[in-house]
Amino acid sequence: MGAEAKDLVLKEISPYLPAISRGLIEAQSEEFLARVEEIRLRCGQPLMLKLGDEDWTVTANGQPSRSLHLGYRVSEEDIYRSIASISDNSLYAFEEDIRRGFITIPGGHRVGLAGSVDSEGDRVRTIKYFSGLCFRVAREVPGAATGILGEIYAAGGGGLVNTLLISPPRCGKTTILRDLARQISSGKGHPAQNVVLVDERSELAGCFRGIPQLEVGAQTDVLDACPKAIGMMMAIRALSPRVIICDEIGRQEDYSALRECINAGVRVICSIHASSDEDLRRRPVIRELLGGGAFRLGVVLNRSRGPGTVKEIIRWEVS
Amino acid sequence: MIALKVMGISLIMGGCGGWGLAGARRLDKRVEVIRDLRMALGFLEKEITTMFTPLSLALERTAAFCEYPVAGLFMTSSAVLQGKQGATIREAWPEGLAYLLNHSALRPEDLKVLQNVGGQLGMSNASEQKKVFALLQEELKLQEEKARAQATANRKLWSYGGFVLGAVVVILLL
Repeated sequence: MGAEAKDLVLKEISPYLPAISRGLIEAQSEEFLARVEEIRLRCGQPLMLKLGDEDWTVTANGQPSRSLHLGYRVSEEDIYRSIASISDNSLYAFEEDIRRGFITIPGGHRVGLAGSVDSEGDRVRTIKYFSGLCFRVAREVPGAATGILGEIYAAGGGGLVNTLLISPPRCGKTTILRDLARQISSGKGHPAQNVVLVDERSELAGCFRGIPQLEVGAQTDVLDACPKAIGMMMAIRALSPRVIICDEIGRQEDYSALRECINAGVRVICSIHASSDEDLRRRPVIRELLGGGAFRLGVVLNRSRGPGTVKEIIRWEVS
Repeated sequence: MIALKVMGISLIMGGCGGWGLAGARRLDKRVEVIRDLRMALGFLEKEITTMFTPLSLALERTAAFCEYPVAGLFMTSSAVLQGKQGATIREAWPEGLAYLLNHSALRPEDLKVLQNVGGQLGMSNASEQKKVFALLQEELKLQEEKARAQATANRKLWSYGGFVLGAVVVILLL
């Protein structure tokens, strides 16, 4: 596992780093690299690595350190070289991704972009003069959703029920949703189902040029970079899904599309940012959806025993 | 003895005349290369702003589209980008320009605008890239006109100048 996780950083992310940072990161131990979740390059600031909740840097001698002021300082040239490498010197080919604020690299890893945002009204035209890059390591955790899937089937008496994953950021909901898609569409212990992943932020399937880089199952179709509300309606019309999975619902149009899906008899599994049932019920639209019996199961996640810890299972009765 | 003199005169006249004609040809060649360069950049612009082809491949395709020596600029730059991990256009482009300068009748001032703007190739969105190409085309057009004017003004000078110089040398030697 450690060697595999290390390879993920060394083979899939490190080639996109500028030479100096690449050397510093490649000098780290297997255990250290296996825990890396984020690598951050900020102009004039220390090279940063996020390992769980800990922030680390690497000194110019290649020593890992928690004293950030000792870290190797990332230069403007480093940022330029990295962005040139990520885009194959072809930023024009990534216009849409840049507008959304990130570029996905092979392997499904996302590189968040910071810099001077050129906008027009409420629309981002482009980002130029890049000042920071955030490499987020996309890790698959096969089996991460096994326990939750059991609960979903149990709540439905052997069938799937509409489920809401309730979680603050960085608690593993994306990893769990991805594994749910994989398991449901592969038919682990249950009949395989057609699944559509509406992956608005290209995080669930980690698509690179439209092709999923992460394992999402044999019968899963992915609508990559597609707004959730539009994607859900497209899926119903064109892809005959049994289950639709999407991440981070929150806009008014998402709720309307959810209602359409549920009325069409399609099962929906999605996540929402909140930390408890009470939090959730403070939102009038969600309260209304729950009151109408749209969702039967809620799974509250936190990080108390690491990402993906199930804090609470809520069964909402149909009134 | 006379035969030897005639041979010497012929050699001097032929050498100087040939040198003058080559000079005149170089003036015309310079204009042709700048025109080819403009055409090639037009092709590259389409590859970038319409086809969204990755830069290394776009340069390779442009090289295939145009002829020696202009093809060398694009082929060399593409080879540098494809051959080295982490290579940037800022490094690849000057190598291509160096090739072009060494293998063509262009002068350093002809390539100045390409040196200044080349590093921006690929590193912005399509509409910005269009602006870069528009600037390149405009500057190169001016350079082409200048080169053409110089060719017109100096062609005869070089063409006849070589023979005149040969004649002067012959007279001096006689």
